[in-house]
Amino acid sequence: MGHTWDFATILQNWPVLWVGIKGTVFIFVITVVLGLGGGLVVGVARYAKSPFLSWPARAFVEVFRNTPVLVQIIWFFYAFPILTGIETDPFLAAVLGISLNTMAFSAEIYRAGIQSIDRGQWEAGKAIGMTYNQTLRRIILPVAVKRVLPALTNRGIEVFKMSTLASVVGYVETLNQAKLIADLNYNPIESYTAVALIFFVVLFPVVQGTYVLERMLRKGD
Amino acid sequence: MEWNFLAVLRDFDLLILGLLNTLKVTGLALLFGVPLGLVLALSRLSTIRVLSGVAGFIVEFFRTTPPLVQLFWFFFALPILVDVRMTPLIAAVVTFSIQSSAFFAEIFRGGILSIDKGQWEGAKAIGMTYGQSLRRIILPQAVKRMIPAFMERSIELLKTTTLVSTVAYTDLMFQANELAQKTFRPLEVYTVVAVIYFVLIFVFSQASIWAEHRLAKSGEGTVR
Repeated sequence: MGHTWDFATILQNWPVLWVGIKGTVFIFVITVVLGLGGGLVVGVARYAKSPFLSWPARAFVEVFRNTPVLVQIIWFFYAFPILTGIETDPFLAAVLGISLNTMAFSAEIYRAGIQSIDRGQWEAGKAIGMTYNQTLRRIILPVAVKRVLPALTNRGIEVFKMSTLASVVGYVETLNQAKLIADLNYNPIESYTAVALIFFVVLFPVVQGTYVLERMLRKGD
Repeated sequence: MEWNFLAVLRDFDLLILGLLNTLKVTGLALLFGVPLGLVLALSRLSTIRVLSGVAGFIVEFFRTTPPLVQLFWFFFALPILVDVRMTPLIAAVVTFSIQSSAFFAEIFRGGILSIDKGQWEGAKAIGMTYGQSLRRIILPQAVKRMIPAFMERSIELLKTTTLVSTVAYTDLMFQANELAQKTFRPLEVYTVVAVIYFVLIFVFSQASIWAEHRLAKSGEGTVR
């Protein structure tokens, strides 16, 4: 192993990497909000009694869960504009791919949460004169969402990692900038190690947090 | 806008080749990843602090870093660090073996921990060594409980292998990119490829749901 590690070149190029980190955070925030928020809507629709709601929701979930997210991003980048005439830049294509994929996965998490609630809760809501929507909003969802919080956090972690795929269509994020630094300074070892460390340092505490959260919820239930 | 699948169908054999390579990478990653996952799980469960610490670090590190970063690291950085000739296939197999082993390790660990302690004690009482108890008593029960989680992870692995297209390995995704450029028909090419992946993954996930129901019926709890 004749390599001498030299992280100085990374520090010199810190502004370049910083642009990428900001890009990662930006796309993460947007996709995690759209994905987990939209997933709630799809999850509720998937649970609905009306087949006009539940079947389209089910089809959506199956399509986006059973295809790789990279295929989705690339489809939205190259194929979607031809189909619809709507131009997608790298950012939009990545946001569509990652958000829709996350919506499908989180919809199943919400649905499992709603299903885990005792039937008696629904009946109790009805007995005191609440409509379906009121019972869902005021009684079922608050408990259901709390129960699936660890699973949702895990999805959030996946979204953060998935954001690197946006670099494939040329969106400027951390990995994209690291590749740039590596190509210009011939230091792929330090560049890619730095990116790996950045993700590890951010996500490791979050993962530990989910363990704590799981334990707390288990005690509370 | 008109759909025209003729160009795609004419070069369908290119996509078939890509599909076979996708399955090859997935299969090889499973072949190395599963045993490595077992080793990591046993190390993490070990009472030797250093061993469990190192295994724990490897598992957490590969679970919290993006697979695309890992792939780039093994493809672009490793050959400089150690003198090896890196091909896209080797980089892909190494990356996905280690990456999936980190996830398999947690499945193995969950499965092994779910087995009642009395089983270990029972095995010890009739004179079995650690290795014997593990092989004959614990693992056969644990593995059965792990099957659904194991299948789910394998499906995730299959989806993740699309990343190898970025280091120019001729998997299905890469072939799709090539074909889209060659035929100027990205809409049809990427749609067909999405459908191929969908059918493949849908069949696997239905099989895993079926297995889960079977196991639930036979009274074996499923561990995640």
